[in-house]
Amino acid sequence: MTTMAISDALYDELVGILGEDGVLTGKPARWNRTRTPAPFPVHRWKEYVPDVVVLPRTTEQVAEIVRLANRTGTPVVPRAAGTGLTDGATPLRGGILLDVKRMNEIREIDLVDRTVTVQPGINMLKLNEVLQPHGVMFPDNPASYPCSMVGGRIGTSGWSLIGARYGHTRDLVCSMEVVLPTGDVIRVGEGGGRKLRKASTGYTIKPLFFGHEGTLGVVTEATLELVPRPQAEFAAFFGYRDYDTAWRSTGALAKSGFATLAGVVLFDEWKLAYLRRDDEAYIEQPDWLKSVVAVAMYGNKAEVVPAAREIMRIGRESGGSYLGDEISQGDWAARHDRYAIPLHGRLRTGEVAPMSWHCEDAALNYSVLPRVREEWHAIADHYIRRYGIFDDWGMFAYTNGAYKPWGDYLVEIDIGIWEQKLDDEMWEAWLNCKREITEVTLRYGGSISACHGASRAGDVEYVPQELGGAFDVMKKIKRALDPNNVMNPGKYLLDQAYED
Amino acid sequence: MTTEAEDQQREFVERWRDPAYGCFSSGHKFCRNVCPVMQVTQNENHSPTAFHANIVAMEQGALTVADVAEDYVHCTQCGACELRCPNTLMAGDFYRARTRTVDVVKAMRALAVDSGIEQPNWKRWVEATVDRKNEPVLDVPVAQENVANWADGLGLGVGGETVLFVDCEAAFYRTTLPRAVARILQKGGVDFGLMREQWCCGGPAAEMGYVARSREFAVHNVADWRGIGASRIITLDPHDYITFTEDYPKYFGVDYEFEIVHITELVAELIRDGKLSLMVPIERVATYHDPCRLNKRKGIHKSPREILRAIPGLDFRDVDHVTQWSYCSGAGGGLSIERPEITAAISQQRLDRAAALDVDLLVSACVWSERPLAAAGETRDIEVRDLMELVAESAGLEVTAVTT
Repeated sequence: MTTMAISDALYDELVGILGEDGVLTGKPARWNRTRTPAPFPVHRWKEYVPDVVVLPRTTEQVAEIVRLANRTGTPVVPRAAGTGLTDGATPLRGGILLDVKRMNEIREIDLVDRTVTVQPGINMLKLNEVLQPHGVMFPDNPASYPCSMVGGRIGTSGWSLIGARYGHTRDLVCSMEVVLPTGDVIRVGEGGGRKLRKASTGYTIKPLFFGHEGTLGVVTEATLELVPRPQAEFAAFFGYRDYDTAWRSTGALAKSGFATLAGVVLFDEWKLAYLRRDDEAYIEQPDWLKSVVAVAMYGNKAEVVPAAREIMRIGRESGGSYLGDEISQGDWAARHDRYAIPLHGRLRTGEVAPMSWHCEDAALNYSVLPRVREEWHAIADHYIRRYGIFDDWGMFAYTNGAYKPWGDYLVEIDIGIWEQKLDDEMWEAWLNCKREITEVTLRYGGSISACHGASRAGDVEYVPQELGGAFDVMKKIKRALDPNNVMNPGKYLLDQAYED
Repeated sequence: MTTEAEDQQREFVERWRDPAYGCFSSGHKFCRNVCPVMQVTQNENHSPTAFHANIVAMEQGALTVADVAEDYVHCTQCGACELRCPNTLMAGDFYRARTRTVDVVKAMRALAVDSGIEQPNWKRWVEATVDRKNEPVLDVPVAQENVANWADGLGLGVGGETVLFVDCEAAFYRTTLPRAVARILQKGGVDFGLMREQWCCGGPAAEMGYVARSREFAVHNVADWRGIGASRIITLDPHDYITFTEDYPKYFGVDYEFEIVHITELVAELIRDGKLSLMVPIERVATYHDPCRLNKRKGIHKSPREILRAIPGLDFRDVDHVTQWSYCSGAGGGLSIERPEITAAISQQRLDRAAALDVDLLVSACVWSERPLAAAGETRDIEVRDLMELVAESAGLEVTAVTT
């Protein structure tokens, strides 16, 4: 029998709140609610294990747990799907891991004022299965669409693949109920409205509760936007002989001004090389192809059909060759299943090795993409040569702004890591690689993260530099709302808020 | 742990660590939404992802089989997670690296049993099965001498090239099913016989981790088949079909010479060839429950639908077989024996989905699913029947339970 990592007294109080079924003290329960997807320092797994896991069902239970945490000085780390790429749900100080998966109710579907109200433990794919018969959808659509959950999307301020058309997570929440770090329960929305999209009463508080990664409380209910299910979907893949032409073409497509434009994605030649050599689902393309641009549109037929003709014209006139329906429709349709196929990469010798996936996710302006790309690949190449456990899987750039896709991009370099080889030296090498990439991002006026969050090692050290005086405000807010530092302590360097 | 147990755990980790790592490092967890157990417990200890991650943690020396054995009870071995896994979907064919969570669960359960960690109800179940040679199915007396009582009055012989293997639940409890199947085969002109002495297939023991016990049943049954000159085995239960096509070949290797046929495939063929006519209308509104072991494990989903569409009068409201990846009765993999309340909750969820279609009949093709599904159907006025019972009725054959 495993000995509990918490006191009998704390256990009894938790059971009093949740019942025995809602309190897990066993080792597998704790070890399996620790990591998020790779890269994870698997050799240091034990440093991130919580002391107890709780599975609440109601807002009141969450509030009571947080009050108990304040009384006893116990950390609380909220966790939804645990699929985030910034370790937001990874405990740094043990404590209570608050798993919201049992908070998965759909509370109300309002087809008149067009909202759906849910608990945070629901997944978007499951939610949309329920919404589909009503002709509406919740359009938050990350690569992790089949697995991530609404609570985590809010906690990390997620990014949607079709955000150019429909907005990202923060654009799709009308209001939400939040258990604050003191255990008080508030509703934040536009002014005091539950289902309003814009108000000007008082401070604009709602944005504060996107991307805080559990450091400012726990979202326990959210009232989300419903949009009409699109009548028409259009996707086209264009091929190019060189990156610069593809980059210019991307700009032309993104600036086309069509409201139905859901996203433009630019693949560079490293990405093409990787797909050719190691992606078993790759649809064969001619050798001259060095770069690809994918574009997608959603909306009513009356909008999409004529706009698609214009998009085809712009793509061709800016130097693209249409690559055909198979890749255009097939690759776009498979975009979720194809996210992060890990399994293997290659060593410099060409030898196959089991590798997992790191995805850098900077936000950068359109103008600097070509230069950043050169510098990032050079950094990756240095580490590949020196350490022999990394592989460069190429770069994507995705239009980034909600409704305004023309000015900036989510820029991704995918790096394979042979995680089974990680030890302290290799892990430090990896963090250094990441730091160098981050330094480039900041030098070009970008942000460390467009979608995941920036609280992973290798990112988080640069947050004060990126935010400047705004980081001081962040610390003041943290201390004001969480006087005892119980909510996800240590995350985002926010212990500094309590130093004086 | 003893040294021997440590060696066993080391071998187990060595065997499974790389496949486990393929899951661990990606961490997609697409499987969670299709896993029947996760859908009702929402406890990530029971997720297929955890079943793989535990092995990585064992390799790190963080967990032992004693820590995790109980978690592996929470699996019906339905196979949904394997199908939904992006590693299977996108890389499986190329690398033959299909995610094998069912095998992992069976292997971990076997490691647990070999390490002396047993689940009380499974232990009792397997002991009783060994004692009686057949599973101690609930609410009815089970004894080897009664294993063919279901066939009273049907005039069936023993032996021949084709043997009908009747699952324990069907032989002792739902006798309407084997009687319906026997009459269908007779009407369709299929020559078949019974075994001289049919024992449990051994599949449940293997699923619960008692591999040596499972082999004993297999050795007996195969000897019986050979003794009566059988070369083709008809199964009416998908669990037997899995045991005979996956476990037995592992036990006997290249010496395993039998053709295994599942009843839905055979009956669909009889109807197609005009050897069996379905003439009697069945005026019901029905949907079909894809048994996990047919649909998810074996890809058999066309023949049952073909049969249902051939039944006159039936208003068949189908839910496609891919949507049904996330459906289950909860009865498989020993879950109903060790955690009956979870099985009941899974069946309740399945009946909720049937009720949304406004049906009055849920048709299954897996006898083990039919008890929990029927219990869940009672409160909704949805009857649960086996596909073969319906076929017999529509063919004008008598469908009755044995009365002795």
